Amino acid sequence: MGNPSTEDDTLLSEKVAQLMEWTSRRSVIRMNGDKFRRFVKAPPRNYSMIIMFTALQPHRQCGVCRQADEEFQALANSWRYSSAFTNKVFFALVDFDEGSDVFQMLNMNSAPTFLHFPAKGRPRRADTYELQVRGFGAEQLARWVADRTDVMIRVIRPPNYAGPLLLGLLLAVIGGLAYLRRHNLEFLFSKNVWAFSALCFALIMTSGQMWNHIRGPPYAHKNPSTGQISYIHGSSQAQFVAETHMCYAAVTLGMVLLCEAATSPLDIGKRRIMCVAGIGLVMLFFSWLLSIFRAKYHGYPYRSVTP
Amino acid sequence: LTKFGTEEKKMLKLSWSIKLNIQVLLLQFYSKIVFCFPFRFNYRSTHHLTSNGFYEFLNWFDERAWYPLGRIVGGTVYPGLMVTAGLIHYVLNLLHITVHIRDVCVFLAPVFSGLTSISTFLLTRELWNQGAGLLAACFIAIVPGYISRSVAGSFDNEGIAIFALQFTYYLWVKSVKTGSVFWAIGCCLSYFYMVSAWGGYVFIINLIPLHVFVLLLMQRFSRRVYIAYSTFYIIGLVLSMQIPFVGFQPIRTSEHMAAAGVFVLLQVYAFLQYLKDRLTRQEFQTLFFLGVALAAGVVFLSVIYLTYTGTNKLKCYAKIHIPIIASVSEHQPTTWVSFFFDLHILVCTFPAGLWFCIKNINDERVFVALYAISAVYFAGVMVRLMLTLTPVVCMLSAVAFSCVFEHYLGDDMKRQSPPAEDSRLGPNIKSIVTMLMLMLLMMFAVHCTWVTSNAYSSPSVVLASYNHDGSRNILDDFREAYYWLRQNTDEHARVMSWWDYGYQIAGMANRTTLVDNNTWNNSHIALVGKAMSSNETAAYEIMRSLDVDYVLIIFGGVIGYSGDDINKFLWMVRIAEGEHPRDIRESDYFTPQGEFRVDKAGSPTLLNCLMYKMSYYRFGEMQLDFRTPPGFDRTRNAEIGNKDIKLKHLEEAFTSEHWLVRIYKVKKLENRDRTSSL
Repeated sequence: MGNPSTEDDTLLSEKVAQLMEWTSRRSVIRMNGDKFRRFVKAPPRNYSMIIMFTALQPHRQCGVCRQADEEFQALANSWRYSSAFTNKVFFALVDFDEGSDVFQMLNMNSAPTFLHFPAKGRPRRADTYELQVRGFGAEQLARWVADRTDVMIRVIRPPNYAGPLLLGLLLAVIGGLAYLRRHNLEFLFSKNVWAFSALCFALIMTSGQMWNHIRGPPYAHKNPSTGQISYIHGSSQAQFVAETHMCYAAVTLGMVLLCEAATSPLDIGKRRIMCVAGIGLVMLFFSWLLSIFRAKYHGYPYRSVTP
Repeated sequence: LTKFGTEEKKMLKLSWSIKLNIQVLLLQFYSKIVFCFPFRFNYRSTHHLTSNGFYEFLNWFDERAWYPLGRIVGGTVYPGLMVTAGLIHYVLNLLHITVHIRDVCVFLAPVFSGLTSISTFLLTRELWNQGAGLLAACFIAIVPGYISRSVAGSFDNEGIAIFALQFTYYLWVKSVKTGSVFWAIGCCLSYFYMVSAWGGYVFIINLIPLHVFVLLLMQRFSRRVYIAYSTFYIIGLVLSMQIPFVGFQPIRTSEHMAAAGVFVLLQVYAFLQYLKDRLTRQEFQTLFFLGVALAAGVVFLSVIYLTYTGTNKLKCYAKIHIPIIASVSEHQPTTWVSFFFDLHILVCTFPAGLWFCIKNINDERVFVALYAISAVYFAGVMVRLMLTLTPVVCMLSAVAFSCVFEHYLGDDMKRQSPPAEDSRLGPNIKSIVTMLMLMLLMMFAVHCTWVTSNAYSSPSVVLASYNHDGSRNILDDFREAYYWLRQNTDEHARVMSWWDYGYQIAGMANRTTLVDNNTWNNSHIALVGKAMSSNETAAYEIMRSLDVDYVLIIFGGVIGYSGDDINKFLWMVRIAEGEHPRDIRESDYFTPQGEFRVDKAGSPTLLNCLMYKMSYYRFGEMQLDFRTPPGFDRTRNAEIGNKDIKLKHLEEAFTSEHWLVRIYKVKKLENRDRTSSL
């Protein structure tokens, strides 16, 4: 009596309804072996499944899994709350400790892995996400999903309130300090404070801190074969954070000392010391800067007094 | 140091002539060509201006660029450079000194850099004293950061823009100091010249209001500031809107809102000061001062916020979404080595100058301190903006050195009030210090000469390489190819190449191009990128739809030139993928391990794409020397994977002597459809 196609249809709509219900509770469906076999492997199926195989238990100590999980959650959330949400694509997760049989069945031994199970046919090579090449950023995952399923997901991350909160806190602290010292606001008018902060800002900028902020280089580089730590990057196109800490502050300080030595009203002995210290600082640190510069610009022919 | 007088003029002339000599000397190796990419376009526009007149130039629609879209040149270019060159040419010809426009263009930049030295001298003299002014002029005459934009043959906006910048700032400082309308109007006229010359005028229109605002905050308001700024804002605004490219932007975009906000604020503040003189109530004054400060803060913060969210280009975050911006190497942030390379000792001593300026503060020194802080931030974020930092670094280092020399150079007894016997530093120490300082300056001069001769003085059209015995080998492939194009192709032929070479092809080969360095249309560039990265049949369809006759590529595999199109290929793919994500995928061009390889292990999509085929056509049979197999690419250090290349829809038209430039002709459609049998 039961026409196989209508039986199939009712089974399919049951499965889809079940998946929709789970998705409404949680964007990423947690699956164990049974659920996997029933919903992903067994026909009938007219929907795609994007599954992340991971190992999130703390004793597995997989830091990458946790980071990838965050990105995956962001992607699944964006999908669930987007206007293009249909019942054709579902996001799921299989943890190693819950579904190790699935891992064995698929011959998988690394985590995290992202697989796409299309609605029709077997998964092909392109249905495995190339984690090494692309990284696990949600935007890259979304592009891969769009590639495989023709469904465009726009990744919307929840607004990060940490920044404005911190700013508000800072302003409150400053306001509090200003209020407490409101009878004695002399420090605002002190030229030394302003001159010093301007100086610091200029030194920070010219020593390449913005480059560090944008490119994020390592502090120093340890040569894996010889074990030697090098603080200076070999080429002139890049730099390590260690390099930028040796800045021009010493030379500047030297120049300032020189001038102060000539004009300040201290006694003569101290002024002589300041003068000598000033010129010493200038020459020494400038030569050092020059030698580092030579190390990066091979072919620079000039050296200073002290190599 | 105070009795220089005519000697100071002699020193200025000396610094100007030193600069000219350095630059012209270096030019003697190569003939007078206008090199580098954007300069070809400027020269072509100037040529158009002198041949056809001013109004033709303003209304010029260029149909030989960006085929088939064309480009409205009159409305999308800053005319200052072309008008200056055209005017000089006109005046000289009027005096019957017949000079070709090309010579005017080539030598314009050094002449204007001399003028920059003079205006820097004037500005620093206003800020500090004459000695500092002279030092600043000498510094800016030789500093590498500025020389890169002012060598002879570099015909670009920055050459005259920096002069306009310094001169405008000088006139502004003068008008704040004297409070006379005469100087303020001079400042407006100079500002108008700056707006016509360079898009960086936005820097001026934000720095001057910031200066006025900080003066207000520091309670240094005076009649002089009020007169200067009010005049400057109104007349400067009206004048800046006369340039067609700027149009109505000053009253619409957020970059100009700060100036308007400060103007309103200044009027309110001045009005309140006026009231204060009339009314004598104490609380009224305090309350209104607080109210004004609060309103000012709110307005200024909201303006800055609007600017920050509106125009984020300077912060380089657009590079994540627009690959074209990221692919220009000048938009990268700056390493400390770049600072040191361009500025040498000046970058170490300019914070000291900043310190001295702030310690002895007055109205003008507030301005230079603000200039320094904003310039140093922008230079840290984008390498290209190092140019705006260079003048202020020269000025402040001159201030620092002037302070030192003032105390250590002069003889103590000859001063106005000689110090007591035991509080002098002693001549020995002073002479040692002076000598060491002079040595530092000499090292600076030597460094500048080295940098100029090595880094900034070869025209990039002609490549020079050195053999084992040290003799120079000149590779003139680019010009050879462009002249071939000029003489052997139809006048209306259309040439497809990557956008870097657009201006050169339009200028030297005089042919219509599809995309050029103006990069105003990202989709058109993406289409060209897609054609280069697809296989031959798909590319042929795109080329037929765009009416392309010739394709030009740069290939460096024979001589090891690393700036060729295969090295730029990934940018073509990225830009194409941005517009056509379904057809082009960057990952297809990498091996499964994620490497970009041109040998046998390379991805098949890469080995069959049009760019690969065009670059390596017939290269598989070429053996460069007997140690390497045939088809060995010197730039990538690999033997190419696909040696037996057959081209179906293109045929090779020209390959230059060292295989640097390769030109292919696009075949027309078959007369008879081959798929039909018979």
